[in-house]
Amino acid sequence: MIVAEVVAHQLLKRFGAVTAVNAIDLSIGDGEFVFLLGPSGCGKTTTLRMIAGLEMPTSGKITIGGRNVTFLRARYRNVGMVFQDYGLYRHMTVFGNIAYPLKVRRMSRAEIRRRVGEVAATLRIADILDQRPDDLAGGQLQRVAIARMLVRDADVFLMDEPMSHLDAQLRGHMRAELRHLQKQLGVTTVFVTHDQLEAMTMADRIIVMRSGNLHQYGTPQEVFERPDDQFVATFVGEPQMNILSCTIEEDGGEPAACGPGFRAPLDRAWLGQCQRAARNHPLRLGIRPEHVSLRETPDDEHTIPAELIAFEATGTENLFIVKCGEAEITACMPRHASARFARSEGSRYFLRFDPAWLYLFDGESGWTLAHAVGSRSASVREPRA
Amino acid sequence: MKLLDMHKVESPGTPERQRNWWVYAVLLAVCFINFVPYLYIILTAFMDRATATSGVPQWFFTPTLDAFEHLITEKRILSNLWNSTVVSVCSTFFSMLIGVFAAYALARYDFTGRDDIAFWVLTNRMMPPVAVLIPIFITFQTLDLLDTKVGLIILYTAMQLPFVVWMLTGYFREVPRRYEESAMVDGDTWFGAFRKVTLPLMAPSITATAIFVMILSWNEFAFALYLTSVDAKTLPPSLIAYAVGVNVQWDLLGAACVFATAPIILFVLLVQRQFISGLSQGVVK
Repeated sequence: MIVAEVVAHQLLKRFGAVTAVNAIDLSIGDGEFVFLLGPSGCGKTTTLRMIAGLEMPTSGKITIGGRNVTFLRARYRNVGMVFQDYGLYRHMTVFGNIAYPLKVRRMSRAEIRRRVGEVAATLRIADILDQRPDDLAGGQLQRVAIARMLVRDADVFLMDEPMSHLDAQLRGHMRAELRHLQKQLGVTTVFVTHDQLEAMTMADRIIVMRSGNLHQYGTPQEVFERPDDQFVATFVGEPQMNILSCTIEEDGGEPAACGPGFRAPLDRAWLGQCQRAARNHPLRLGIRPEHVSLRETPDDEHTIPAELIAFEATGTENLFIVKCGEAEITACMPRHASARFARSEGSRYFLRFDPAWLYLFDGESGWTLAHAVGSRSASVREPRA
Repeated sequence: MKLLDMHKVESPGTPERQRNWWVYAVLLAVCFINFVPYLYIILTAFMDRATATSGVPQWFFTPTLDAFEHLITEKRILSNLWNSTVVSVCSTFFSMLIGVFAAYALARYDFTGRDDIAFWVLTNRMMPPVAVLIPIFITFQTLDLLDTKVGLIILYTAMQLPFVVWMLTGYFREVPRRYEESAMVDGDTWFGAFRKVTLPLMAPSITATAIFVMILSWNEFAFALYLTSVDAKTLPPSLIAYAVGVNVQWDLLGAACVFATAPIILFVLLVQRQFISGLSQGVVK
C-alpha cells in the first residue's frame, strides 16, 4: 500500500450553468478519516465522485499519494467505494459481489476464496456468502458493501452516505464499528454525510461544505467549538445554535449585546478580539442551547424575560423553546434541573446566556468575529474577519 | 343523502371474503370464443379432403396426415418454414444487438437532441408500412435483394429496431447508474461493467423484448408477400396460396395454418414465464 494522501487543488465542477463545487482546496493525510459534511446539494457527493473518478472535474487537480489522477478513469485510481444504496449486484451471490473486484484483477480462484473468506470473517458475514442481496437485511447489505470495498488493497476508501438507509440503532452500532475498522486498517477514508452526528462521532477531520464552497476544515472539536462562520455553527450541533440579531452597546462601562427583548452582558476581554464589532454594526449573537439556562423567577443573572412556546422532553434532557422579543430561543436543560418547571405554553421564564460560550458573527458575511471564551481547541486559530 | 349528513355515516362491518365466481365465467366464455375457431382449424388439418370440404362441420372423424404430407412433398412448405425461421431469428438477433446499444446510449448519455431522437425512433413505428411498400420494392429491385432472405432480414431488423429501442430505453433507465459505477470503481472497464453487471440485470427485459420481436417478425405478412416469391418466401404469404381460389381446400389450409402457428405457439408456451416476468416486473426491486 502506498502512502495515500489525497490532495485537491482548486477543484471546480460545473454542470451547465450550475457550479457544484467551487474551486475548493483540500488535503487529506495518509490514514486520516475525513468527513465531507453539508446539506444536500452542497457538492459533497460531487467532490467524492471526482476523487473516485466517476465525475471529471471542470478544472483543478487531484492527486492520490502524489500521483496526478485528475482525469484518470475510476479503474486506474485504485480506490474502493461504498454507495448510498450499496450498489450490490442482485444477480450475484454475496460471495460473487465481494469477489467481483478480485475477478476483474484476474486473481486465482484459491486466492479469491482466501481473501473473501478473510474479509467475510472480519465483517462477520461468513454465513451469508451464498445468499443473494435481495434476501438480506439492511445491516447485512451494508456489511457486504463494505466487504467489497475492503477485499482488495485500495489506496483510498470512499463512502457516500453508506448509513442513511439503516435504522437508528444499527447506525449507532455501525458508527463505532466503522471507526474501529478504519483505525485498524489505517486506510485513508473519505466519508460523505449530511448527518452532523456521524461526522462528529467518527471523523478525524470534518470538511463542512455549502453550495459548492468549503466553509471549514478542522477536527470535530474545532468545528464544534470554533466554527469559522455562522453556517458551520448552526449546521453542527443538535439542537441548533441559537442566532440572535444584536448590536453591541456600552453604557456604564459594561458592554452588552442588545437586541429586541434582550440584553446580555459581555466579557470585555472577549469583545476585544474583534475591533470590527463596532457599535451600530449589524451583528449576530450565537449561543448553543446547552449554554442557555432558564429559571422561573428572575435573579441577578437570569434577567432576560421569555415566554414558553413549546416543550420537548428527549429523555435525558428537556428542551424549552421560548420566545424572547422576536426571536425563538431553544434552551437545553438537564432533566433533573428542570423537572418541576412549568411546561404549559405561555409560561414565563427568565434566561441567562453563559458569557463564556457566546459567539459573535458578522451580520452580513456571517464570518465569526469572536469565538466563545470557553472554547479551548488544540489549534487555536484566529477568526478570519 | 345530503352532504351535511355525511358525518353521521359509520363504517360498515368487516367485509366478507369476496367470491368473484362470475369473473371465471366471463374468462371461460372469452377463452371458448377465442379457442374454438383455432381448434377447428387444427382439426381440419387432420381431416381428409372430403370431410374437410363437406358443408356440415364434423367433430369426430378418423385423423389422417394426408394434408401435411401433401404440403411437405408437393408444396415444399418446409422451405417456407426454414425461411421464416432464419429470417425471424436473424432479424431478432440483429435488431436486439443494435437496439441494446442504441437504447443504452439514449438512456445513459445526455446529449443535445436526445429526446428528439427518442421520439423520432418512435415515429418510425407509427408509419403505416403500406406507405413505403413501393419505394422499398424499388430499392430492393435496385439492390438485387428481391426474394432473398438477406433482404428480408435487413428489412425486418430495421422495422423492429424502433420497438426494441423504445422498450429497452425504458428498462435501461430503471437500472441505476451506480451498478456500473461500482463495477468501474472496482477496476472494470466500461464494457466489462456493461457486460457483467448491466446486461445480466437487464436479462429478463431483454428476453421479453426479443420474444416480442421474434413474434412480430414471424408474423410479418405485407412486406414478405410483395418482396418474396419463391426462394425466400416465408410462411404467412405462403398461406395465401391455400386461402384464395374457387375451391378452398380446407384441409391444406388447416395444415398450413398449423405450420405457421404451431412453432410460435410452442415457442411462447416455452418462454411464457420469462416473457411475462420480463414485461411486468421492473429491473430493480
